[in-house]
Amino acid sequence: MTAIACKDLCKTFTQGEQTITGLDRVSINVAPGEFVCLSGPSGSGKTTLLNAMGGLDSPDSGEIRVGDRRVDQLDKSERADMRLHNIGFVFQAYNLIPVLTARENIEFVMHVQGVPASERRDKSSAILEEVGLSGLGDRLPAQLSGGQQQRVAVARAIVSNPTLVLADEPTANLDSHSAEQLMELFVALNRERGITFVIATHDVRVMAYCRRLIRMVDGRIVADETQPGIG
Amino acid sequence: MADGYAPTMRVLAVLAWRNLWRNYRRTLIMLAAIVVGVWAMILFSAMMRGMLDEMVAGGLRVLPGEAQIHHSGYRDDPSVANSMDAPAGALRNTLDSPPIQAWTSRVKVPGMVVSERDSRGVVLLGVEPEGEIALGFQPDKIVEGRFLESAEDDGLVIGRKLAERLETDLGKRVVIMSQDPDNEVAERGVRVVGVYTARLQGTEETYAYIGRQVLQDLLGIGDQVSEVAITAGDYLQVNQWLPAVAEAAGPELETLPWTRLDGYLDSMLRVQGNMNVVFMVVIFLALSFGLVNTLVMAVFERVREIGLMMSLGMRPRWIMYQVLLESLILLTLGLLVGNILALVTILPLESGIDISVVAEGMEMAGMGTTLYPALAVADMLMSTVVVIVLGLLASLLPAWRASRLDPVRAMART
Amino acid sequence: MNVTGRLAWRNLWRHRRRTWLTVGAMVFCNALLVFMISFQFGSYGMMIDATLSIMTGHLQVQHKNYNADPRMRYTVPDGLSLARQLRQQTGLESMAARGTAFALASSAERSFGIQITGVEPDHEPLVSNLPGLVRQGRYLEGLTTEEIVVGSVLARNLKVEVGDELTFLGSGRDGSFAAGIVTVVGIINSGNADLDRVIAQVPLGYFQDSFAMGGAVHNIAAWVEDLAAVQPMKKRLQALVADPDLVVLDWDQLQPGLRQAITADITSGFVMYAVLIVLVAFSVLNTQLMSVLERTREFGVMMSLGLRPGTLGRLVLLETAVMSLLGLVLGALLGIVITLYFQVYGFYIPGMEEAMAQYNLPGRLYPHISLLSVILGPSVVFIGGMLAAIYPSLRLYRLEPVQAMRAA
Repeated sequence: MTAIACKDLCKTFTQGEQTITGLDRVSINVAPGEFVCLSGPSGSGKTTLLNAMGGLDSPDSGEIRVGDRRVDQLDKSERADMRLHNIGFVFQAYNLIPVLTARENIEFVMHVQGVPASERRDKSSAILEEVGLSGLGDRLPAQLSGGQQQRVAVARAIVSNPTLVLADEPTANLDSHSAEQLMELFVALNRERGITFVIATHDVRVMAYCRRLIRMVDGRIVADETQPGIG
Repeated sequence: MADGYAPTMRVLAVLAWRNLWRNYRRTLIMLAAIVVGVWAMILFSAMMRGMLDEMVAGGLRVLPGEAQIHHSGYRDDPSVANSMDAPAGALRNTLDSPPIQAWTSRVKVPGMVVSERDSRGVVLLGVEPEGEIALGFQPDKIVEGRFLESAEDDGLVIGRKLAERLETDLGKRVVIMSQDPDNEVAERGVRVVGVYTARLQGTEETYAYIGRQVLQDLLGIGDQVSEVAITAGDYLQVNQWLPAVAEAAGPELETLPWTRLDGYLDSMLRVQGNMNVVFMVVIFLALSFGLVNTLVMAVFERVREIGLMMSLGMRPRWIMYQVLLESLILLTLGLLVGNILALVTILPLESGIDISVVAEGMEMAGMGTTLYPALAVADMLMSTVVVIVLGLLASLLPAWRASRLDPVRAMART
Repeated sequence: MNVTGRLAWRNLWRHRRRTWLTVGAMVFCNALLVFMISFQFGSYGMMIDATLSIMTGHLQVQHKNYNADPRMRYTVPDGLSLARQLRQQTGLESMAARGTAFALASSAERSFGIQITGVEPDHEPLVSNLPGLVRQGRYLEGLTTEEIVVGSVLARNLKVEVGDELTFLGSGRDGSFAAGIVTVVGIINSGNADLDRVIAQVPLGYFQDSFAMGGAVHNIAAWVEDLAAVQPMKKRLQALVADPDLVVLDWDQLQPGLRQAITADITSGFVMYAVLIVLVAFSVLNTQLMSVLERTREFGVMMSLGLRPGTLGRLVLLETAVMSLLGLVLGALLGIVITLYFQVYGFYIPGMEEAMAQYNLPGRLYPHISLLSVILGPSVVFIGGMLAAIYPSLRLYRLEPVQAMRAA
């Protein structure tokens, strides 16, 4: 049983007349409960791989399996449903809906899932506490710091109990202290809830938290190693 | 630089033009709205004008002429007793010289036509056919028989509807009755020699034509006539030549333009003129919200940029000019396309639009069954003036606001 | 309000000015439509009433050929008793029999071909407003008296005054020679010169004697309470009139021009309204498209959270609906206020008197507000706004989350 299984993923982009290789025969397996870091310089394909795993983008060829589903064979709505129920996404900053408060941002996802109102309320309170933001639920994103915003984004990502969280440069816009807090939150969630994490980053502060470190260059996996003594 | 930077108009125009197409979707939608608005303005005024021209032209053909001379008592009491002498001397000279194109004198008295089956009250017209045709009687409207051949023609030409009412027909004899100046009933038998159709049913039922001399003899009024009808071609110009005619006719006679003779036509003409302007302004107001909106958005998106320009030393006034110029370009483009579109729509329709489904309703308004849209340069100009003037007025607010931005705070905006 | 509702509402106010301008366009259009449609409906009501109350009435019983071909010989036999019987059976008092003939009328000084109408002096005032417009003398009295009322212009042209005698010459129903001498007892002034030139009424009994009508009349006109009562009354009369040669005609059949004039006016009005609505729809399209485009990134994030394009599309439609509803309510309210003001104080179009006299309308016009006139325009504007939002929301289906999130 794997959480994610990728086999021979290939993807090219065209930019003007140039053809850029996004993914070049990428194959990896991620087991449930793993805490994986995709690292590499910009343009190395980590975001492309992450997006492919989340079904945001389709590879040109190859297979992606998330749980027991072939992501590459799902249509747009099926992929949307998969993200809604099974996958949490966390991006760089500015990924909250600006007109909704922290709590409403979290409840909005549940609302779309069809969770009853009273349950939404309870769950959002609990999750806000879990991410250390109780009392700040009624603030709009603009009234929160970057670190707090990211924690709301995490809360929103995990509120529906996904088995997998995909994070793309989650610490890019954060100071060291906030970055550290965010990573500790990730680790705690990984440990306590058993959520699988795949984090794309080139931030060494993030890599320090990861047991498994996958390096990418030019769309290829060049290293896949387990760091002993972490986690 | 105390004066601040003053760019040339050329630079400003280039800036405005490029800015306009930065958000091409928004510009295109706004442009489409202006085009539809302008198109509707011109199309509507062309329809209105067509309807009106038709109405006035039709009305003046029946009246007939753009001006008439009567005995001063005739209009109130259109009786043979209020006849006038046929034009002579100075009046005749005036009538025979330009700009007057044609005139005719007619005997016009109330009378009756009695057939074997029925009788109807009519207006008997003693006419001289050549003059009558010059004043607007259309010989091709004779559907049976012929029109009169001379002022001595003793045949009767009646409308189709009257023929139906009287159950009479071409070649049949009828009796015409009227009253001579001594209040004796004068009557004689005549033969129906022609049947005409008219735009309006009322006309067909009312007017019966006979040679002028024949009617004068019947009534015993010698050379006297009821009215002199005059035309100079363009009904809008009537007041330019009318005073000369009135002077020649003298104070004894009443010389009136069609605007006084047919108050309904005059009233309609004036009301419709105002309606056109009201319609254009209403259409524009509906447009103006979108226009202001577009400019507000365009300014909003460029707040930083405008701050930058100001900090580079561009005077607020020029910022304002730039926004106004954008608006002007947008409006001009819209007008251009809208006008072309209106032309393309109207020209094929100039042969007429059939509106006979509502014929009787149109008749109540004095209109025929075909609508001929008439494109007038004046209407196109009017729509242009409305759009440009009001458009720039509406743009003043967003333009002014843009010029009032504080450069430092504007630059700080993300 | 649930989260989606709140989301829509707040999104709307992210660009306060833009939303208000768009709502403003709708308010302007809606208020104008409410007023104009109320005004049109109001003037149609007045136009119909004013025209029909002169002579025509709402319904007439006639010989089946008379309407198309009004000849003396197409009569309603024994019309007076039929009228009496119909009044009794329907309980409708406002019903009057009439006869019509052409004759040459002569005074001491003048002669004119005129149309003489024989009327029931007791009942005519209930059907027509002409008897009420007698300005000199009095209206007719008695069914067989030898008297006449004429229009003011006709009186002037004939040079007669109250008390003078008029002679008329014409032909009777059988083609025989018809003549008589009547005394002018009243002069009617309706203010409409065309009308005042043709009015000539004599008592019906005297008319029947003079024109060899026997007991026959040409029509029986009826006036009902309001237009809605016309068709039911028509059915009742049809059931009561047994003679197969007779028909019951309603005002639309008697005066087809009236409805056509209204149709023509409605059509031209509605073309103008359509243009207005299209312009408002453009406004909505622009606003919503901009709103969608500038939120591309946000929509990308939402899609990555697992929202389907359809959900996002519905959100845009909901936002449009809220905005349009705001325009509808405010516009309708403003329209109602304006319309009610003019409904009380009237509305005057300078220079329009002559044109309105053509339709027998007074100089001052009053709009007539109704549920329909308030609802009609604004709801079409609402629909137009929603239609305009379809394109922006459909764009969301083309949105690729990855590219969307890369957008500025």
